Amino acid sequence: MLVALLSSQYARFTAIAEAWLSLGASAFGVYQDERPLVYWPAGHQLARPSIKAPICRGEQELGDIRIAGLSGMAYEQRLRADASLISYLLQLENELQLMTVDLVTSQDQQLALYRLTQSMRDHVTVEDTLRAVVSEAVRMVKAQGGFAAFVPASGEEPLLVQHPEGVLPDTLAWHFYKASRASEREHMLSDVEPELARHGISNVLHVPIWVRGTVMAGLGLLNRPDGFGAPDIKLVRAIAGQASAQIERMLLYQEMFTQTKLRTEMELARRVQVDLLPRSLPVIAGLDIYANSRPAYQVGGDFYDFIVQPGRPLIFSVGDVTGKGLSAALLMTMTRSAIHSKSQFMPYPTPEAVMRQSNEDLYTDFTRVGVFATAFVGQYEPGSQRLLYANAGHAPVIYRPADGEPRLLRADSTAIGILPVSRCRDQILRIGPGDLLVVATDGFSDVRNPDDETFGIERLLDLVERLHERQAAAIATAMFEEVDRFGHGREQDDDQTLVVIKGAAS
Amino acid sequence: MNMKTRVAADVNIVELSGRLDTNSVQPVAAWLDQVTATPGARVLVNLAETTFVDSTALATLVRALKRCQQVQGDLYLCGMRRTVYMIFELTRLDKAFNIFVDEEHAIQALTG
Repeated sequence: MLVALLSSQYARFTAIAEAWLSLGASAFGVYQDERPLVYWPAGHQLARPSIKAPICRGEQELGDIRIAGLSGMAYEQRLRADASLISYLLQLENELQLMTVDLVTSQDQQLALYRLTQSMRDHVTVEDTLRAVVSEAVRMVKAQGGFAAFVPASGEEPLLVQHPEGVLPDTLAWHFYKASRASEREHMLSDVEPELARHGISNVLHVPIWVRGTVMAGLGLLNRPDGFGAPDIKLVRAIAGQASAQIERMLLYQEMFTQTKLRTEMELARRVQVDLLPRSLPVIAGLDIYANSRPAYQVGGDFYDFIVQPGRPLIFSVGDVTGKGLSAALLMTMTRSAIHSKSQFMPYPTPEAVMRQSNEDLYTDFTRVGVFATAFVGQYEPGSQRLLYANAGHAPVIYRPADGEPRLLRADSTAIGILPVSRCRDQILRIGPGDLLVVATDGFSDVRNPDDETFGIERLLDLVERLHERQAAAIATAMFEEVDRFGHGREQDDDQTLVVIKGAAS
Repeated sequence: MNMKTRVAADVNIVELSGRLDTNSVQPVAAWLDQVTATPGARVLVNLAETTFVDSTALATLVRALKRCQQVQGDLYLCGMRRTVYMIFELTRLDKAFNIFVDEEHAIQALTG
């Protein structure tokens, strides 16, 4: 150490030596263990020094400086002052060296962490990330092996990766992880129990990885030849911090991906539903018709349809397929198409025949996927003032004769897809001037308010009674407004579909 | 919604209370899928404390009924309140299901 200081501060030592020589000393030298390290003038080895002063680090004497040819109290004091200055220089040199070592280590670690972050950018799954973290941590800490565990909050399968594969039994890895999770801090075992020694484990360091405010993962390292010291713990904590940030990024990415997928699916379902609705309302002598459908965010399977062909009666349908989202939208198109094509191409379609055939077409597929579709099919011959209908499990359907009370029309058979053979029968309704038929879907009657009350059938009947004198469009608009008011801003749970048919003077 | 399950006289019974709808039906559907997988499964759904059923809940019950029929089993319903029974009546599902006033009568029919 003294030698290193001499090399780096040689000019200062020379200056001190020259000052002594000019004061009259015959020689000046620096000694360690009674061996000269350097002396002035050249060739004078100070065989008989007159004064010596020790160079110390703390309590430890590392060497001395000595002179020859001068003596006395003043010279002794001055030489001690020089020795003390050199001791101080030595201490500074020592601190500088330690700081340099720390700096180099820290730079190495930062570089390694940077490389780790860069390499993790390419990973798109938590498992890939954990594998990279473990192998890099093992390399950086110079451990023999490592492992990382991850227990997703979403209830998916927990993950455990090891490097190298099989470095310790899975049960032990989970044991370390659980211990860290319970205490929320790192665990270090240097004096291992015989049970661990049996598996070739001499020391372990396990650090928890915090994800979204809880310990959701952990990083463990095994068998570092010199054990785990404070710098190793610091480094592994930093690696765990990187892993934490990367896992959080990964989870956010996965959530965004799922949400985007869901949004795309919902948008597609909504488009399928809206695009298949009739673009315009039919104009039929003797009828005032209005229809509208509002898909919910989680699109249901509502539809309505009008089949108008020259020389044939008007046929209309309203339906609701169970379920939500894209599957409901697809099954809705199947149901709507079945009813539409039967109505269009049967030589003499009646609601009963259309419903029976549609049930036959769809029963097997619907049973396989576990859904059904309620449907109402009506048929009107212009000028007849008579509506023929069949109702397969559809509700609510309200009829309000011009001269009577509103009443619910019960279905005459179960929904399409429940029984192999439809029991639908044609029913007849009078649709003369002022007679009113409202075919809604359960998205209307099931609307809830913030107090969790359901709108219900009774309110719907009262509403129809209150509105029956208005035109079909005005009745529908008021009904949508009323359920919106009742829902009080609560998000619509289900599609809401309404077909209003009112008898008018032809 | 709350569900309580038990087995009595070899019949799998589930008691459902509160609203049975899209948001709450999932655990019921999972339980029904499980119990209707056994050949000859006999299942009873007690709706005495059920205040509301929506179309998704009805579809779940219909699916379970069909699964039961496929394994030569039976699924009965019992104890419906008037508002819930009205939904079954309006949609004619009262014709698809065997519905009993209470558990005792349903179990008698299932085990008799």
